[in-house]
Amino acid sequence: MTAPMRLPSQPGEVIDRTVPLMFGWNGRAASGYAGDTITSALAASGERVFSRSFKYHRPRGILTAAFDDPGCTVQVGDEPNVRAAHRRLAAGMDVRAENAWPSLKYDVKAANQLVGRFLGAGFYYKTFISPQRLWPAYESVLRRFSAGGSMSVDARRGDYDKRYVHVDVLVAGGGPAGMAAALAAADAGASVLLVEQEYDLGGHLRYGGAAELATLRELRDRVAAADAIEVLTDSVAIGRYEDNWIAVMQRTAAGVAERLVKARARSLVVAPGLIERPYVFAGNDLPGVMLSTGVRRLINLYAVKPGLRAAAFIANEAGDAAVEDLRRAGVQIAHVADARRGTGLVHATGRGGLRSVRFSDRTVEADLLVTAVGWTAPTALASMAGDRPEFDPGAARFFPTVAELPGGIYCTGGLAGDGSLDELVGHATAVGRAAATRSRVGVAPLPHDPHPALFHGPTDGFVDLCEDVTSKDLATAVAEGYDGAELAKRYTTSTMGPTQGKLEVVNTIAMIAELTGRGIAETGTTTWRPPYAPVTLGALAGRTFEPVRYSPMQPWHSAHGAKPLVAGAWIRPDHYGDPAAEVRAVRSGVGIIDVTPIGKLDLQGPDVAKLLNLLYVNKWSKLGIGRVRYGAMCADDGVVFDDGVTGRLAEDHYLMSTTSSGAAAVWEWVENWLQTEHPEWAVHVTPVTTSYASINVAGPKSRELIARVTDVDLSPDDFGYMHVRTGRVAGVEDSVLWRIGFTGELSYELHVPGAFGLHVWETLLREGADLGVRAFGVEAQRILRLEKGHLIVGQDTDGLTRGFSAGLDWAIKLDKDDFVGKPELVWQGERSDHPRLVGLATVDPQLVPPEASQIVAGGEIVGRVTSSRMSPTLRRSVCLAQLADRLARPGTTVNVRLPDGRTIQARVTDGLAAVDPDGKRMRV
Amino acid sequence: MSEPDKKPLARSPIAPALPVRVVDGWEVSAARSAAPLTLTDVTPLAKVSVKASARGPAETTIGVRFGRARRIDAGDLVVGSGPGEWLVIGGIGSAPAMTEHWRATTAGAGELVTVLDLTHGRAMLRLTGAHAADALSTICAIDLRDSVTPDGTAFRSSMAALVTDVVRDDVGGVRSYLLHCERSSGQYLFDAVLQAGAAFGVEVCGLTT
Repeated sequence: MTAPMRLPSQPGEVIDRTVPLMFGWNGRAASGYAGDTITSALAASGERVFSRSFKYHRPRGILTAAFDDPGCTVQVGDEPNVRAAHRRLAAGMDVRAENAWPSLKYDVKAANQLVGRFLGAGFYYKTFISPQRLWPAYESVLRRFSAGGSMSVDARRGDYDKRYVHVDVLVAGGGPAGMAAALAAADAGASVLLVEQEYDLGGHLRYGGAAELATLRELRDRVAAADAIEVLTDSVAIGRYEDNWIAVMQRTAAGVAERLVKARARSLVVAPGLIERPYVFAGNDLPGVMLSTGVRRLINLYAVKPGLRAAAFIANEAGDAAVEDLRRAGVQIAHVADARRGTGLVHATGRGGLRSVRFSDRTVEADLLVTAVGWTAPTALASMAGDRPEFDPGAARFFPTVAELPGGIYCTGGLAGDGSLDELVGHATAVGRAAATRSRVGVAPLPHDPHPALFHGPTDGFVDLCEDVTSKDLATAVAEGYDGAELAKRYTTSTMGPTQGKLEVVNTIAMIAELTGRGIAETGTTTWRPPYAPVTLGALAGRTFEPVRYSPMQPWHSAHGAKPLVAGAWIRPDHYGDPAAEVRAVRSGVGIIDVTPIGKLDLQGPDVAKLLNLLYVNKWSKLGIGRVRYGAMCADDGVVFDDGVTGRLAEDHYLMSTTSSGAAAVWEWVENWLQTEHPEWAVHVTPVTTSYASINVAGPKSRELIARVTDVDLSPDDFGYMHVRTGRVAGVEDSVLWRIGFTGELSYELHVPGAFGLHVWETLLREGADLGVRAFGVEAQRILRLEKGHLIVGQDTDGLTRGFSAGLDWAIKLDKDDFVGKPELVWQGERSDHPRLVGLATVDPQLVPPEASQIVAGGEIVGRVTSSRMSPTLRRSVCLAQLADRLARPGTTVNVRLPDGRTIQARVTDGLAAVDPDGKRMRV
Repeated sequence: MSEPDKKPLARSPIAPALPVRVVDGWEVSAARSAAPLTLTDVTPLAKVSVKASARGPAETTIGVRFGRARRIDAGDLVVGSGPGEWLVIGGIGSAPAMTEHWRATTAGAGELVTVLDLTHGRAMLRLTGAHAADALSTICAIDLRDSVTPDGTAFRSSMAALVTDVVRDDVGGVRSYLLHCERSSGQYLFDAVLQAGAAFGVEVCGLTT
């Protein structure tokens, strides 16, 4: 691909001509240089059309040659909506136009222009309102016309990172004022974060003349030498929140796709410069119509000739400079219309690109029209801080109201006023110095220079080039009563496109003001809200941090084929291949299970028993040293909250266990009651869940196995059921041995200091090899406990299950003076209409109703299956269920509705336990 | 009883970088690094919790307030980890002696004081280097500048979405942080810090004694 529009070397050019880059453009080979943007490379090769417009599919070209260029959004690989006037070229890029079919040049959707009068303001609401039933059909057609690129669900762009920054001063905008403010703040001793949306610092100086470039070099050198200034380029402050919490989007960051910087600054200096405003006239969207700043960027930064024959409509010095740049670049100047002298611009015409321009006094042939009619002050960050900008008709732009700015917010540069470069730098220096000390001392306001108020010509044109909103649409909106800025904005979607009003807002307001006969100041602005610039969803989502927890025995589990079970943050072994065999091993011999996640709280102090009496529904005053008791906790409403066992290790020392999932909540619960209700109680609570590796050794041979690895006396008389001992296990001191269990078998729970967990686990397997010991997982444990009829809080109960509905009648001691939940449990205990936890046996023993299957009677839901499994021990299904009281009598037959629609029958069993209901096996 | 004769081996929750060696019964990494930013698993260090009332007599005895950390004569680091809570960090295997010491030291305080060995319950890392704070700033929202969190600062915060206790404990004038969390999440925190430090050239360094 040749580059007929590439200019010779320019003094401020950012391209590196020694690094040519090849890329693809709509399937064709294209080339450019390192430092080029996608559009500058294509423009150098003579391309003028880069996209089709949102609604009418009109061809669009370069307008601003910067990030917010509405006509330069493209697809790059599988990344949609890339700002091609900003994104730097990379070798091998596959760049394609969006929103055009079959091609960018011949887009059949451009037929929309033929029915344009039906697609005006509010056409959705008017056209598709009835018949309502056809909306799905309308929608499917409309979706085919929607703008934007496409992406694969498999697209991967790497991590979206996040970073926290705390600085004294954050300067938003790295133009001359921003750099000067940053330098002054740093000189005053402040740490500074300087944020610039372009790839380089400098603002408009980058595409200025020799004097501007000299100033640029001097300021850049000083910034680079200032250790206290951190510079983020290709980054934009997208939002300001309470107390100067500022979100900065870092688009280019090493090693990551994008980074969201969450900055907290004592002071915020807003120095974004000014945004050049387009002019509204017929044909203002034709490729070849550009803003003066766009022309200057193309020529001076990228050495690209914007056109061959230019016309200009200018009203300020920026326009003069653009015309001068064009002359220097060898562009033929067909005509310069100076609005300051009263010349008007009527319309532009062309097909696929600009051909001619009609001024009030002549018509000229041109392929480039430069407009320079005024500026928009991006007051967004100041507005987010509470400022209400005011319109100065003499200067024809809005200014922040400095008196309204809260402490710690400063404005400088073109946003604050006008002046020579030296005057702007002087103001910024004073602002930076003040920001460093969070004062307003020494900051004199900048003057507002007069500027002609030029918003639109005598013909209708596009007000919002992103959304294809015309001046006629605004007139329609006002005529239909949407005559306020916010109303008209929403009705027409003007200012709601990807540029978010930066180019369109003032023209929109000016037209509404004119149509309603109100002034611009009276009409006011729309509201600037974060984000100031478009942000990818990936950046907002950020990195996903999901902490996980492993037991000390995890390496063994992984090495032995354990299927992982995600249980909250814990990763647990669900089984090792055959849970039924694991169950049988426990019932017939001995098995070991890793139960480390069981919550453990170390309780010490003379008032522990009072605490236990308060939190558990049963009694604790007489628990002897070395004894263990089961306890259930209810919340104030009597709903079962957690359960577990607590052992008394010494006179004032207890060890409480909780459910695995409830460990953190119980700790908070205990601390809450101690700190808010009974601060006078002397109790210290320390979570020790992971201080211990916990192993349950279960099965008729468990005593024999444990005896091989401990010096603790295990004889039933000395160490009976529901007792606890401390001692040495597998050579590990300070271990805790509990004679408890969840399986219904003789079992011991070993709590050993965590770092020795793997050692003890492997020792048990080695020492018990001749006993047939095998590891079992959570699934086998669930089957075992279900066979035994033990409930699981949260599985067999829910957020409404009070104590008596959980089968805890035997544990609830209403004769205690008080405990949490007692009033509600007293109330429940006096009634008989609450659900009951029951055991169920299906009439067909081979049917296992899935958990959550409904139990129905007389057309009503009367309960649900809470737990169900096929029992390897009994070779039939075993279930627990929550069931209406009237059906809970043992022997009652109930109907269970399966998810597939079938109904099966099951009988209520006598008690919850299906295996060893008398508890003889675990008490041996 | 026929107690197994194999000597117990204590292991950190963090897989040690090779090669490994055993120090005082703990398996530790013997890897060495001269990188400007290093991450070391210091889980084997003794960690003893002391609890008393906030601003009570024991606090006067201990002499370290909430949010601060200070080395005492024995070289142990006393961290004011919460109101009325301290964590004392000492050498490998010193937990029993430390426990006895602090029980004796606080015995006359006239209030309930609980001293508990938490060595096995906590994973602990040390991140050392001039860019340590920069690395942590990608996973922790706290202001790590000297003016806010100077050497000797202790706080609890979210680090990569994990509750983590942080102690600024500079080593030889070089910025250094001790990070500790529940043992079970030690590997997760280690990996998160390692990733956070990647941009600054972090390397794993084994525990030196």
